Amino acid sequence: MSATDKKSLAERLGLKVYSGVGNAGWGRTLFAAVISFIYFFPVFWIILTAFKTHNDALAIPPKFIFSPTFENFVAVFSRAYSAGAAAQDTGFALYFFNSVFIAGTSVLLALAIGTLAAFGFSRYPLRGNDTYLFIILTTRMLPAIVVIIPIFLMFRVAGLSGTYIGVILLYTAFNLPFTIWMMKSFFDELSPDVEDAARIDGSSDRRVFFKICLPQVKAGLAATAVFGLILTWNEFLFALLLTGVDTRTVPVAMAQTIGGDIGVRWGLLAAIETLFLIPVIVVTFMLQNHLLRGVTFGTIKR
Amino acid sequence: MMKVWEVYPLRVAFLSIPAALLISAVAITLLPPSVSFWVSGAVFVFSAFLFVAYAWGRHAGGLLVAPAIALLFIMNIFPLLWSFGLSFFHYRANRLAPPRFAGLHYYEKVLTDPVVWDRLQVTAQLVVLTVSLQMIVGFLLAMLFAKQFPLRRVLLILVLTPMMLSFVAVGAFFRYYYEPTFGLLSQAVRVFTGEPFVLLQSTAGAIAGIVFADAWMWSPFVMLLVLAGLVSVPKYLYEAASIDRISHWRRFWNITFPYVRSLLMLALLFRTIEAFKLFDVVFLLTEGGPGTSTETIAVYVYRVSFQYFKTSESAALAYILLFTVIVLTNLYLYFANQRNRT
Amino acid sequence: MSTIEATNLTKTFGSFTAVRDVDMSVGEGEVVCLLGPSGCGKTTTLRMIAGLESVTEGEVKIGGRVMNKLPPEKRDIAMVFQFYALYPSVSIGGNIEMPLYHLGLSAEERRQEVARVAEILQLGEVLERLPGQLSEGEKQRAAVARAIVRDPNCFLFDEPLSRLDVEQRHSMRGQIKEVLSGLSKATVIVTHDQMEALTMANRIAIMRDGMIEQIGTPHEVFSQPRNVFVAGFIGSPKMNLLDGRLLTVKDGKATIELGADSVVFPVPAAAEALVESHLTIGIRPRALEPVDSPSERSLTGQVELIEPMGAETLVHVRDEDERDLRVVLPRERKVKPGEVLHLACDLTQTHIFDDSGLAVR
Repeated sequence: MSATDKKSLAERLGLKVYSGVGNAGWGRTLFAAVISFIYFFPVFWIILTAFKTHNDALAIPPKFIFSPTFENFVAVFSRAYSAGAAAQDTGFALYFFNSVFIAGTSVLLALAIGTLAAFGFSRYPLRGNDTYLFIILTTRMLPAIVVIIPIFLMFRVAGLSGTYIGVILLYTAFNLPFTIWMMKSFFDELSPDVEDAARIDGSSDRRVFFKICLPQVKAGLAATAVFGLILTWNEFLFALLLTGVDTRTVPVAMAQTIGGDIGVRWGLLAAIETLFLIPVIVVTFMLQNHLLRGVTFGTIKR
Repeated sequence: MMKVWEVYPLRVAFLSIPAALLISAVAITLLPPSVSFWVSGAVFVFSAFLFVAYAWGRHAGGLLVAPAIALLFIMNIFPLLWSFGLSFFHYRANRLAPPRFAGLHYYEKVLTDPVVWDRLQVTAQLVVLTVSLQMIVGFLLAMLFAKQFPLRRVLLILVLTPMMLSFVAVGAFFRYYYEPTFGLLSQAVRVFTGEPFVLLQSTAGAIAGIVFADAWMWSPFVMLLVLAGLVSVPKYLYEAASIDRISHWRRFWNITFPYVRSLLMLALLFRTIEAFKLFDVVFLLTEGGPGTSTETIAVYVYRVSFQYFKTSESAALAYILLFTVIVLTNLYLYFANQRNRT
Repeated sequence: MSTIEATNLTKTFGSFTAVRDVDMSVGEGEVVCLLGPSGCGKTTTLRMIAGLESVTEGEVKIGGRVMNKLPPEKRDIAMVFQFYALYPSVSIGGNIEMPLYHLGLSAEERRQEVARVAEILQLGEVLERLPGQLSEGEKQRAAVARAIVRDPNCFLFDEPLSRLDVEQRHSMRGQIKEVLSGLSKATVIVTHDQMEALTMANRIAIMRDGMIEQIGTPHEVFSQPRNVFVAGFIGSPKMNLLDGRLLTVKDGKATIELGADSVVFPVPAAAEALVESHLTIGIRPRALEPVDSPSERSLTGQVELIEPMGAETLVHVRDEDERDLRVVLPRERKVKPGEVLHLACDLTQTHIFDDSGLAVR
């Protein structure tokens, strides 16, 4: 990661061209730009729609040029449910808070527990290490629906459904396999020499972990955390079945609005989506160097 | 004083699992659900602790791993085992009647149920279509970005964004785009036919709609993996190839493709596992319709368990899914390890 | 006709000039080594000849045709890469076969060609294996086989032996030389190892900072180095280079002040213009011989460090001006640290360089 940090802004943006084989010029840029834009168009159009008035959003033919408005963004949080009625709180402020709070807390918890475990798996291989890791990964690969049936029953019996504690606990477990695999892949990459040297110099295991290993995987920690945030932020099925009215997250609320009272108010829906997507897009840009590892749960590093 | 797990550590730890299974089975049969839950929960937490104690006795690493294992045990393994137990009983989550033993009844029922086979067929159809489309589009995109050119990283972000988005958001977009009157697709078609176009009305259209949305979302994933393979080809091999005057076709198959092959395999498996679970997009776009023509197995399990509340049946069904995913995951890890080793 | 000609060849990367005004020509059947320390531009020069690097200025001619704008595949050349560049997923036989597809030979003809070069380079047993399963030496031979399997305009070698161990290097040097001598092609070899260059090349081009310092036969660059750099670079152990001042020149003999000692040398006539100026005297370690008493062509110093080299012994002698003189003595001549030696110079192996480092001839 240090190498990427030192890159100049021009390099990060891909503005700098390197000579030699495997280099295409601005012609390729133009071609790629067209393709990329077509690919990105569905997202772009939604963002555009978010700034349209209700009539513009439904215009035939579609309007590319229009006078932007923020009314949709205002209406996300507070609007009148029927003509002439006073504007009411829509609850979306709470849903956004819930999404942030639940994702944030559970990711931090998973990071704390998972990093320790990853270090354990990486440095003190137990007998049957691979089996443990396999089971851990499998729990993440399982269709959510398989896991959710018993968890749903369990939460109902234990009185946890719809509570913050329940949802956070669930998402912590949901993030844990990912965190462990990601962090293990980062720990595995560290050169053992430095640790050996530190041990020979008399550092305790705890010191080795906190003073030597952790600082080296700082970027990995950040990447893992951000990935976990996105995954949790986006998660739908668990949230649909296990959150209550007060703990509902944005995806659930969004899904409900699709069929609900604002079913045809696409501008409003687009505004919700835009608010929901912007953090993800920003974060994707920041994560670019760790994307491959992240989307494959650390199983493919390069 | 020697503790029992210090003398027979592994045996105690392993025996605790069947013991826990037995105790919870008995508890579920005899006790009301709210009591049996805590009983079986306690038993499993105990056996988890036995494992941890065993590991702790052997290595310091056990202590580091313990909290994670314990949490996963409580939140994942234990519920899974519980529902495994339930799949042998008659039980409906919306009734108060205590579970009655059913043996393999539900497995038999699920495996011979034509509806299940139909849903599996629908799923297979969607998996094959969406994964192959993703592989093709992903591969082409990767070829586009394999070379260095100005602004490459910025453009790459535009293409990579869809896979980071939420299923719900993607489902919502495409609902908007497929909308019959003012959706972009319908409007585009109307230019040619003069008629509004209702894509999701027909089976083929609904499948196409789902496949298109899912493939749009996940082709970047394939691209990312293929790209990793493409950029890992040492440049000097291409230089040697140009000096040896090797044709572009042969260059691709003999030099480029071998570097991409393992990653393509991984992408294929990973996407198959994920597509097999296809739920959110279907749920939001078509809700399985028209009729049940796009109802994937995941959506079906959802309906069985949360709309019809046939809890035991859905548990049995879930275990068949679980088995499939375990096999695929195993394969995936096998290939991933093979690649990481070389 | 197989020749290579480079005229005023220049390569710049941004503001950095990697190669500057390189002029060289390689005749048919001739082997020219580009020799120099790392980063001197020798590999860039080779890659420009190959067409793997674009030419900023100047001209590359292969077989009499200007090749500047042609891609590598149109230049009809063969090249052995530093890391061999064997196609990892293709068997050794398949690797050697690769350059033949372009020629439109039948499968049988290709097989025969592969068998022919496999025979020359003793690769018959490993033709079915993948590159990853071969030893470094076998990979090296496979890379050479792939280069010589067809009949190109010229051969280019980029550090061909750098990955081999000492013994393999020695035997491959011989093998490559033998193979090349049978082919009568223009060949350029890039290397940083002077032994390699001295043994394999007909001519050596010594490069520094992107420029050719001297080009000549191995004998020429060793016995008549054109400047201080070449003098110091060629020959092992390194030549002793001593700073001095030219006092007088009389009857073709110069008196030179070397710190405390002053020595009298025969010098070429051109040296007369340099009276009173600083210059550098180069004396090969083997051109110094211990004598019993000091004379007008001897230097004096104390033995400081002794490095046995097998047949000979390298002795570091420290003179009164704290200069380190390297002297190679026969094994039989025993010396002890602290011993005072008078060292007479063999005048035929002594070189004089002027203030700017150029040899005075």
